[in-house]
Amino acid sequence: MIKKASDKSDKVGAVLVVGAGVGGMQASLDLAESGYKVYLVEKGPSIGGVMAQLDKTFPTNDCAMCTLAPRMVDCGGHLNIEKLTYSEIESIEGRAGNFKVSIRKKARSVDPDKCTGCGECVTQCLVKNIVYLEPPDVPKVELEADEQTKIDEIISRYEGGRESLVPILQAITNEFNWLPQKLLMRVSEVKEIPIEHILRIATFYKAFSLEPRGEHIVTVCMGTACHVKGAPRILERFERELGVKTGQTTSDMKFTLEAVRCIGCCGLSPVITIGEDLYGKLTPAEAAKILDKYRD
Amino acid sequence: MKSYRTHIMLCAGTGCVSNGSFKVKDALEREIQKHGLQDEVGVVMTGCNGFCAQGPVAVIKPDEIFYQFLSVDDIPHLVEEHFLKGRPVEKLMYIPPSEKAPVPKMGDIGFFGKQRLIALRNRGMIDPEVIDEYIARGGYSALVKALTKMKPRQVIEEIKQSGLRGRGGAGFPTGRKWELVAAAKGDKKYLVCNADEGDPGAFMDRSIIESDPHSILEGMVIGARATGASHGYVYIRHEYPLAHKRLIKAIAQAREYGLLGKDILGEGLDFDISIQQGAGAFVCGEETSLIASLQGDAPEPRVRPPFPAEHGVWGAPTNINNVETWANVPEIINKGAKWFAGIGTETSKGTKVFSVVGKVENTGLVEVPMGITLKEIVFDIGGGIPKGKKFKAVQTGGPSGGCIPASLLDLPIDYEKLAEVGSIMGSGGLIVMDEDTCMVDVARYFLEFLKDESCGKCTACREGIDVMHGILERICQGNGKEGDIEMLQELSEAVKDSSLCALGGTAPNPVLSTIQYFRDEYESHIKEKKCPAGVCKALITYTIDPEACKGCRLCAKNCPQDAITGEAKEPHIIDQDKCIKCGVCFDACKFDAVLVK
Repeated sequence: MIKKASDKSDKVGAVLVVGAGVGGMQASLDLAESGYKVYLVEKGPSIGGVMAQLDKTFPTNDCAMCTLAPRMVDCGGHLNIEKLTYSEIESIEGRAGNFKVSIRKKARSVDPDKCTGCGECVTQCLVKNIVYLEPPDVPKVELEADEQTKIDEIISRYEGGRESLVPILQAITNEFNWLPQKLLMRVSEVKEIPIEHILRIATFYKAFSLEPRGEHIVTVCMGTACHVKGAPRILERFERELGVKTGQTTSDMKFTLEAVRCIGCCGLSPVITIGEDLYGKLTPAEAAKILDKYRD
Repeated sequence: MKSYRTHIMLCAGTGCVSNGSFKVKDALEREIQKHGLQDEVGVVMTGCNGFCAQGPVAVIKPDEIFYQFLSVDDIPHLVEEHFLKGRPVEKLMYIPPSEKAPVPKMGDIGFFGKQRLIALRNRGMIDPEVIDEYIARGGYSALVKALTKMKPRQVIEEIKQSGLRGRGGAGFPTGRKWELVAAAKGDKKYLVCNADEGDPGAFMDRSIIESDPHSILEGMVIGARATGASHGYVYIRHEYPLAHKRLIKAIAQAREYGLLGKDILGEGLDFDISIQQGAGAFVCGEETSLIASLQGDAPEPRVRPPFPAEHGVWGAPTNINNVETWANVPEIINKGAKWFAGIGTETSKGTKVFSVVGKVENTGLVEVPMGITLKEIVFDIGGGIPKGKKFKAVQTGGPSGGCIPASLLDLPIDYEKLAEVGSIMGSGGLIVMDEDTCMVDVARYFLEFLKDESCGKCTACREGIDVMHGILERICQGNGKEGDIEMLQELSEAVKDSSLCALGGTAPNPVLSTIQYFRDEYESHIKEKKCPAGVCKALITYTIDPEACKGCRLCAKNCPQDAITGEAKEPHIIDQDKCIKCGVCFDACKFDAVLVK
């Protein structure tokens, strides 16, 4: 450890870098080159990080390995960098200039000084397969009686496995206006589709909502034709009029405001729909008046 | 089918229905009954007529009189005058902008005059919910021909010779696609009709399905004959409920007539069609992600090859064509490849359906031969720009296309010519923009769309579009920097090169084309902090012209911020600190006294 001679305090001239990805390595190299002792801590068994897994980098399409490899070699051989791989930080004490860090070095069971990295041990190892564990028991979904009959009726309408999922979610949306989690659990149970997959599909598509929606769904078409004819101002007007942002529902659960990507009525632009009713060639003021019809 | 002396072909497309065409139908029938004409005059609810902006519209057959903006109140007068006394009603006829005399006949109206209908051959002529009407117009005769007189090889050859190319936008030769699927090995093969028309500003597919669903079904059965497919899917957007409903009905009728299902027409062909609804994801229009969606997987595109022709739905060879492509097939089989190849340009044959929308007098759906110029579409068919404004650009190809400026209006439309000027054919959205449209805002709009719709699978598209959108957003906010344009161009190249599917691969087109042709607009946003078109909110101010203001107080009453002050009958003033630039005063003013700068 190098101590700064002129400094009267107890500050030390060593640096700890956490994480040996490309950023950590470059930082370590810069510091080491300017004379600091560097401790480079890395959780994984090797330096390199995520970039080592990439082919090209955005936005320049540079070769990832060409950027990474020289730094790995430099870092690996630099005398001022002490590499602590397969290690994790347990605690940090002290203050700027003088930290005390305890690091847990995990058991590697391989002597790094002797290892040449030939990889022979990997191919020779007899225990290759990961042990398969039975998935934990999922608690049975509890539903109200009428919910149960409704959802089971919907599910029974569609045959098949995954390919029936989107139609089922559509049917639930038509019936309930949104996708209550409990019902999705039931779909998962009956169709034996993991709930994770159902949620992935439900969040991918615009037509599905995981939150309750209002009685009237107000959609403003944001297609190109509507856009150039002033749809953004209609949307803004609705936001002001209803006191909600796009995608939200009014607190009385009366209206949900949504923007849609084009409903193919471009001849009537700008267009909105409220429930099943369609209104075209609107100005913001006219659009606001239409809401009154649904306010009762 | 009952036959009448006179038929009223009343449009029941989505646009006209929303304007009350079913109420008009009831009123018509009531009045016809009242005058005892029920055996002579029949009302037929047809599919989309195309002239949506004038809806509800009706065409009287056989005299071809075109009526527009029909309302229930007009009907008693109309029925009495036209059907009883034989005097067409002038005030319900179309009057071309800038002219005074009405044009009674449909064929004489500029909007319809230059059109040539192949894919839309039955629009406005039949009730789309009655299969007999389709058959009466020669429907399913092409299927009979393909099944009884032609070998699968000949069907493919006919389509190949015709030069038909994919109408979804990319323009891949349809015959070649069919050939690949026919040659691919597999016990089961599938056909898909791509009706996931995601491009904003385009509604060709909706209109074709609404006005003539059987033409697609017939095309698909012919496709099954050619390729050996046993099942077909129609993947349709959930935003099109009417089209969905008509398709269900059409499939049921076709099954009943033995035109779908087992042993079609007794010729041993088994083929059935099912419908799958989308759920609102633009990327599902991409063929590999459409297949994933059909199978219930997350609709993300995958690397091609293998192409769907080898490895498609459930791993089987699959042929995917767009709605309009399928609708063209029966006509080609009926009239021959030579006839079809005689229309259009050297590389692009036949016709193309466009939705002409935006800042244009006659908005609606048109079908025109390839090779027609943009000028003819915008000015002869579209009737030019409303309110005497100046034409600025026309955008084709949706979010994957580009903006074409006035200087290129003489461009003949075909796949190659559009690509040369930095746009694409796309599915056929054609959005006209005038001097009040800000091109930077248009580019920002498309990137916002694509940023939302990017599935997120590949980095270049997910992150690249986001960064580009951020820069454009900044420029529109008035915080543009020197070098932003160059940065956008550089990013565009990177996103183009490294995206997985066409969504990312074509995403920079709206940016690149607007920079190419409207660089001055970008520069005035960045350097002078001005939006020349008066669109970008951060860069405009609303003021009241004291000369024109009559002091009517209407603007002050409507202002949500109470930012407008002034005594009655005195010119008003807008307090710029309070103004949120919502534009309410601009809309409210009856004297054009509110100015946008």
